[in-house]
Amino acid sequence: MDKTKSRIVGVRVNKEQETMLSELQQKSKLTKSELLLKGLETLAEYYSDSGAEQEPMQTALQRLESEAVRHMVSLRKIRRKEEAIKEFVREIRKIDEIIDRHGCNPSMLIQILLDVQKQNNWLSKPALVWISERLKVPMTRIMQIATFYTMFSLEPQGRQTVQVCLGTACHVRGANELLTRTQSVLNLKPGETDPEMKHTLKTVNCLGCCALGPVMTVAGAYHSNPSVAELKELFKES
Amino acid sequence: MNEIRENITMKKLKSVKDIKRLQKTLLAERKGIRKSIAVCEGTGCHAYKSSEVADAFVEEINKRGLDKEIGVRRTGCHGFCERGPMAKIFPEKIFYFKVKPEDVPEIVESTLPGKDLVEKLLFLDDKTGKRCAYQHEIPFYKLQNPVVFGNNFLINPKDIEDYIALGGYSALAKALSGMTPADVVEEIKKADLRGRGGGGFPAGLKWETARDAPGQPKYVIVNADEGDPGAYMDRSVLEGNPHSVLEGLMLGAYAIGSAQGFVYVRQEYGIAIENLPIAVAQAKQLGLLGDNILGSGFSFDVMIHQGAGAFVSGESSALMSAIEGRVGEPRPKYIRTAVKGVWEKPSVLNNVETWANVPLIINNGSDWFRSLGTQTSKGTKIFSLVGKVKYTGLVEVPMGLTLRQIVYDIGGGIRGDRKFKAVQTGGPSGGCIPEQFLDLPVDFDELSKVGSMMGSGGMIVMDEDTCMVDVARYFTRFLADESCGKCIPCREGLRQMRRILKNITEGKGKPADLNLLEELGDFLKEASLCALGQTAANPVLSTLEYFRGEYEAHVLHKQCPARVCQSLIVFYIDPLKCSACATCRKQCPTDAISGDKKLVHIIDQGKCIKCGTCFQVCPTRFSAVTKLPGGPAPEPVAYGTKVAQKSKGEK
Repeated sequence: MDKTKSRIVGVRVNKEQETMLSELQQKSKLTKSELLLKGLETLAEYYSDSGAEQEPMQTALQRLESEAVRHMVSLRKIRRKEEAIKEFVREIRKIDEIIDRHGCNPSMLIQILLDVQKQNNWLSKPALVWISERLKVPMTRIMQIATFYTMFSLEPQGRQTVQVCLGTACHVRGANELLTRTQSVLNLKPGETDPEMKHTLKTVNCLGCCALGPVMTVAGAYHSNPSVAELKELFKES
Repeated sequence: MNEIRENITMKKLKSVKDIKRLQKTLLAERKGIRKSIAVCEGTGCHAYKSSEVADAFVEEINKRGLDKEIGVRRTGCHGFCERGPMAKIFPEKIFYFKVKPEDVPEIVESTLPGKDLVEKLLFLDDKTGKRCAYQHEIPFYKLQNPVVFGNNFLINPKDIEDYIALGGYSALAKALSGMTPADVVEEIKKADLRGRGGGGFPAGLKWETARDAPGQPKYVIVNADEGDPGAYMDRSVLEGNPHSVLEGLMLGAYAIGSAQGFVYVRQEYGIAIENLPIAVAQAKQLGLLGDNILGSGFSFDVMIHQGAGAFVSGESSALMSAIEGRVGEPRPKYIRTAVKGVWEKPSVLNNVETWANVPLIINNGSDWFRSLGTQTSKGTKIFSLVGKVKYTGLVEVPMGLTLRQIVYDIGGGIRGDRKFKAVQTGGPSGGCIPEQFLDLPVDFDELSKVGSMMGSGGMIVMDEDTCMVDVARYFTRFLADESCGKCIPCREGLRQMRRILKNITEGKGKPADLNLLEELGDFLKEASLCALGQTAANPVLSTLEYFRGEYEAHVLHKQCPARVCQSLIVFYIDPLKCSACATCRKQCPTDAISGDKKLVHIIDQGKCIKCGTCFQVCPTRFSAVTKLPGGPAPEPVAYGTKVAQKSKGEK
């Protein structure tokens, strides 16, 4: 299409555009520059209008995005829940095995609790509730047993158990000083577990190694009267 | 296990003759074995890593191709735990102590062909300065008569064949083939076997009561819930020779007409818990447990229960509650447990050692048993000799030996040649026996006369560095923790006693406290439900009687003469002796020690937690750190004081 220089605005336009422009000038009785400004105004209006139309789109996008995120989170939650349920079922199944091994016999309650404690390192509430359901033993009796015996713990234990023997033979050979030392090195009191779940400090009444006294065990290995330096070494290794 | 052996073991024994035949076969098979090495794998030696020693023996012997002539046996406890790991060479009975895997080739090289002894591993008698090679020369074993415990040296607890080869289960065979149940009860009664668990109640009488009591079924129970701290003889018998206990239990079951037995064993006793089911399974395989044992029509089965850590559960009625799956709390025994025990049925409960004595009595006769011991206490007793004694371990002696013989002749006296102060017997229910009674013959009744008791056989030796108030506080704390809380005198009485004793050991005691303790003690004795409460005051009352001076030092002078009570004692560095070696400063866990090169070290009493590290690590050539019986500590020297100049020879 051949473009000729317009007589109106001084830019290149085709014929149709030229006629449209002269018609507009006649109709509106505006000067050339006024017409130009008007056109610019209209254009600005048009674009600000269509801008207003685009805004909901952006928010819609944002909304969609946040919704997607929410869905992802809840999906993850569900998945985690699923995992937890699966884990729980696995655990219960293991407990079931223990219960069945003892013939689902209420008189073997203590033995069952011991086995569960040995397997999980502690007695969780779901585990106890399940045992109570299966054996048809009231929860009060289970709690009575779980709190009566020192072997059971109702809280998760550290990966390593540190036991300081407080038997009589160890006591007369300085078990208290060993306990004070261990407490200060581990920064734990008897019965406590550190936040990283590394160690649980416990005291026991007799380990039956009186010849080694005062004696302590770290993860099952016996140590006779370790000094502070030796204790630090023992806990560093682990 | 090779194939032939498996064939023998698999075969069920159907008659009394079968077991004799099996014994003969086993003995014939073992004739080729010229020598054997017994390596102790009891808990004590196990902690010293004795299994590595046993592995080294096996490896060395296989390497030399001697495995047909020399046997290696992993056995239970040999008693002399102080000197573990131990190896004993048969038939000469040569004892090697503190054996390390590195020593093994030398032993195999020199001792096994019968050439030489490895001097450095023999027992050194510091009284004579001589090395002792043979069991009968070692003072620790010289006075002992290990009739119950002795087979531990010869038996692999995981192998029933070892027990049978030594004549095991022959007592059962004898009873099943030639004795009526009444005869068995009669024999035990005649032997006057008293319960080894603490009470000393005649076992025969208990059996008779249960046999005559109405009600079926009847139960027999092994009490292996050995809770006394510092006592471990039951564990050692059970883990070292489980079949002797099972055989005793079967004889008891036969005598009272029971078909079900229980073994209640502490969960803490790992090796026993491992060995016991193996023993039961092997006995079942041979038909020694189950239906129609040895074709006699007698049937019997055993169940193993694990304890979960409660001292009071060792009490007979509490233990029976635990077997029923309930909390192990004692119940009033207006009717004896022999009449109404587990599930209200007649039940005989005896301690491990008591059961282990039964086959011996049946085999050797009651007259043999009566020939050992004193007028009122027959047989032998295993004691766990621990504490400040030189040779810690398990000793089995005939009843009636004096405390002095046990502590000094067998135990070698006090460690570090300190002065003897007391010996504590009977566990937390017992008392402390002072020096003036050292010549007391040890039996059930003599010990009760001086305010203690035999108990299960713990003997904790105490020297001048043991604080008797602290010991009383220790036992009271123990018992207060372990009291089940069912009856008020025990629960509240012990709590109050503990509070008073705690105050005394912390220097807050009042003179009137001592009388109050006595009053409370008498009350506990009279009013408690079970033996735990009734005897709980013994440690306090006996120490108050014999060591009142120490209590008074705590109360009146706020001092602990034995330098034990942590709240009273003070650690102090002697500025004249300190050489500024910095050992204590570096090791102090709370950085309470200040000092520098060539500057006298000073303890900041405010920071000191009295853990004793500085005292422990101060080199003996300086021994500058001292424990003082009570505060306040002497005024410390100013920081920056130079260490005293030492002459050249001194360092």
